[in-house]
Amino acid sequence: MSSQVQVPGSVGIARRPRRRGDGVWPWLFIAPLLLGIGVFYLWPIAQTVYYSFTTFGVFGGSTFSGLDNYRQLVTDPSLYRSLLNTLLYTLIVLLNIPIALYLASLMNMPGLRFASVYRVIYFLPFVAMPTAVAFVWRIIYNGDFGVLNYLLGLVGINGPYWISTPGAAIVAVAVVGLWSNLGFSIIVLGAGLKTIPQELYEAAQLDGASRWRQFRSVTVPLLTPTIAFLVIITVITSLQLFDLLYAILGSTNPTLSKSMSLVYFFYRSGFVTNDKGYAAAIAVVILFIIGATTAVQFRLQRRWVHGG
Amino acid sequence: MHQAPRSTSPLGRPAKAVLAASVLALGLAACGGSSTSQSTSSSAASGAAGAASASTDLKATLTYGLWDQTQVPAVQKVLAGFNAKYPGVKVNVNVTPYADYWTKLQTQASSKTLPDVFWMNGPNFQLYAANKQLAPITDQVKSGAIDPTKYPKALDDLYTLDGVQYGVPKDFDTIAIWANTALFKEAGVALPTGDWTWQQFQDTAKQISDKLKSKGIYGAAAGMDGQTTYYDTIFQAGGTVVDGKKSGYDSAASQQGIQFWTDLIKSGASPSVKQLTDTTADQWFTSGKLAMYQGGSWFRSALTKGPVSSSVKVLPLPMGKQKATVIHGVANVVAASSKNKEAAQALQDYFASQEAEQTLGSAGSVIPAYTGTQSTFAASMPGADLQVFLDALAYAKPLPVSANTAAWNALETDLLPDAFSGARPVADVTKELAAKMDTALGHE
Amino acid sequence: MAFPFVWQVIMSLSTNAEVQSVTPHVWPHRLQWGNYHQVFEQLPFLHQLRTSVVITVIRTAAQLLLCTLAGYAFARMRFRGRGALLGIVLSILMVPAQVYLLSQYQIVKGLGLLDSLGGLVLPGLFSAFGTYLMRTAFLALPQELEEAARLDGANPFQIFWRVMLPLVRPTMSVLAITSVLWSWNELLWPLVVTTYSDHMPLSAGLATLISDRTINYPVVMAASLLAMAPVLVLFILLQRRVIDGLASSGLK
Repeated sequence: MSSQVQVPGSVGIARRPRRRGDGVWPWLFIAPLLLGIGVFYLWPIAQTVYYSFTTFGVFGGSTFSGLDNYRQLVTDPSLYRSLLNTLLYTLIVLLNIPIALYLASLMNMPGLRFASVYRVIYFLPFVAMPTAVAFVWRIIYNGDFGVLNYLLGLVGINGPYWISTPGAAIVAVAVVGLWSNLGFSIIVLGAGLKTIPQELYEAAQLDGASRWRQFRSVTVPLLTPTIAFLVIITVITSLQLFDLLYAILGSTNPTLSKSMSLVYFFYRSGFVTNDKGYAAAIAVVILFIIGATTAVQFRLQRRWVHGG
Repeated sequence: MHQAPRSTSPLGRPAKAVLAASVLALGLAACGGSSTSQSTSSSAASGAAGAASASTDLKATLTYGLWDQTQVPAVQKVLAGFNAKYPGVKVNVNVTPYADYWTKLQTQASSKTLPDVFWMNGPNFQLYAANKQLAPITDQVKSGAIDPTKYPKALDDLYTLDGVQYGVPKDFDTIAIWANTALFKEAGVALPTGDWTWQQFQDTAKQISDKLKSKGIYGAAAGMDGQTTYYDTIFQAGGTVVDGKKSGYDSAASQQGIQFWTDLIKSGASPSVKQLTDTTADQWFTSGKLAMYQGGSWFRSALTKGPVSSSVKVLPLPMGKQKATVIHGVANVVAASSKNKEAAQALQDYFASQEAEQTLGSAGSVIPAYTGTQSTFAASMPGADLQVFLDALAYAKPLPVSANTAAWNALETDLLPDAFSGARPVADVTKELAAKMDTALGHE
Repeated sequence: MAFPFVWQVIMSLSTNAEVQSVTPHVWPHRLQWGNYHQVFEQLPFLHQLRTSVVITVIRTAAQLLLCTLAGYAFARMRFRGRGALLGIVLSILMVPAQVYLLSQYQIVKGLGLLDSLGGLVLPGLFSAFGTYLMRTAFLALPQELEEAARLDGANPFQIFWRVMLPLVRPTMSVLAITSVLWSWNELLWPLVVTTYSDHMPLSAGLATLISDRTINYPVVMAASLLAMAPVLVLFILLQRRVIDGLASSGLK
């Protein structure tokens, strides 16, 4: 990872001629943060990595067991199932970005009334407490008295038992994830749209470009930094799916084992079936997967954003 | 973005420094108030540990950990009685929702900060006892402060490991059939009387389902968990769940116990597994859409109001090869690491006393475990025949547990739904379950 | 989009039977305001509200201070190991919160801060995300400003405080909002680290109402709405600022 992490648009500013070092000042600036991060985050990560090579007693005390946990993990179907579920979730949630782009361009049209009302409505899910909204969704998704299947029934569709059918459950959770992220994307993209000079569209129109063509060759390329930013953030947070899944499906749902995410798999091993060493190994794998994905994205983004 | 890690917080949203400033101003006032209340309780907690000699002079502040918010009023009544005897001991009740209770307890146990006294259940008991997290009650039994013979033997055994007992139950629960008599009448099906067989149960349920299906009403269902559902039928068939270091699932009898539910669902007498996940059986029952709900005595507290409660009657579980029901009860245990052990054990003793159990029983939410205090429970719903739950003691079997029960409980929840739904043959599923469970038991 | 909220309001005023009826009730037969009353009976609501507010304020203030300082240093100062340190700080973004639980608890215990306000807020004072965000904002500022201030004889802290900080206010508001939301909504940490329900924030208090056995849907709905309400109202009132600030976060 490390220094490759750069924000869209920041390129070009970082490498400017510089004085010699700033002496003790930078350390004064970062010391409080580093101290806190070191104690509360880095130390726990280091411990986790160490524990992943041990067999951990339920309430502490560990014996070194080398790669045992990892050996067991690579043959555990739960790892691959939870990885697939997590990827599926992430892909569905990513769909919020094109949807948001579409809605944001609609809202960006001159003369739209109540634009700010729409924005607030789209934004509410992002602000809402996950524990609280998960519960409403659980009722909406209910197969017997849920309003979703009732509405589907009106148009002749026989909806599944959303949260108790393997496959459907992770999709149902992802829809909620998409729903709660949409408002954020709309606002970020909406602001991006405002920065695109109107003349570009006018020029395109003179060239006889259709609306769709304008969208593809003017709007999208100019928004690539913003889109890249959204993609990276969405992927990092989606790969850490836990709360929403747990709250919507409920802790006693038999589908949970088939619908679990990587982080739920970790939680289950560490806190439900009491195998902390194994859980630590899962955590290390999660860290690795997210880190690798993010690194790849930053690399792709550089090429893509520049070439756009 | 709701899953953002704690350290980092999700991606932002905006409002300028004004927001920060206004929130800041708002908070300063609140801050002062809260830190005062903070310091009182923490100073109380650290102060005045044990060391008193005469028991009633004990001074301490204890934490009492439990998971059921609905039982707090009853617990407070018991604590009032305790404080009449021990005015110097302050007890703070800490409720953690069940879904997070064991996560929290594990974290606390790993850090030697367990509550002084807390609720323990059968599935988790051996894990905590074997890892020396609990204080034995041996001395309290010797001194006569606790008399284990006053409690159902099955539950004394549940909280005993290697001959050492760590707690007595505060309550117990057994399983029976909650029947909605109005639905029986509507379907024109006679209410069974006295003992009945599996076949009679299945037939009755199917008859009701067939008659009332158009109204979305089903004949019978259960929670599809071990305790209220398949452990009972496994025991009725003469099977076992866990036997020493071996799983009992690979026996013909245990398979019959599972098959019972597969048949019930297949015949249409019960909602499907998916339906029962979306809406649990107790909810089907309280909304008047289920004629028979196989459930625990604790369900009584959900029936205080609502249209169904006036037409409820309790029936014994049907009989397979033999009569059986699962018994379980929550115990009050003292943490081995408690800094106020004397006071904590005084509280444990008091909870185990007839007086406290009487108070608990009168509150009506659970069956008190102390022999002779149960009548209040049976009387709390006249005409419903709650006595069935107490009579079931005669043929009750303790909830199956082992050193790391949760590990194979997770396997049951993973695998058995496929057997119930008919997605895979029962014999295949139980065979796989038995093999995996043996491995898990071998790790203990 | 707003449907779940509307539905939540309707259900919070219905009876349990209406919530579970097969044909959804668009409007309850009789408004059940008693459901809200029950929430106050079952939760020390005002205590928990105060705790939520205090936690949120302290964390937000601390994050604003620490993250702007560190973000500034990472963006505009030169020192040995800058890139590596930044990478390490950012790697924290990749780790799910559950992984930290046990270690953080033990550290807080070691500090003697269990069940205290200090323990509740501590790990959340430090934000890797905030540092990333603020660094981005500082990177985008032109260098001339600093040079001018330096010629006037200002020391680095004065430059940061008087010249640069005012320029990143929009991004600070983004950080403030993020921090408010996340402090308000966080569940697992407060549940584990608090002992008394009076010391819990609303998010944790709400969770104690939701039990697996027999759920009273309408009361849970009412409690959820009450727990979310303060933040929802705050954001609706400040929506223009919120949205403008937020919008700027993706657009450096």
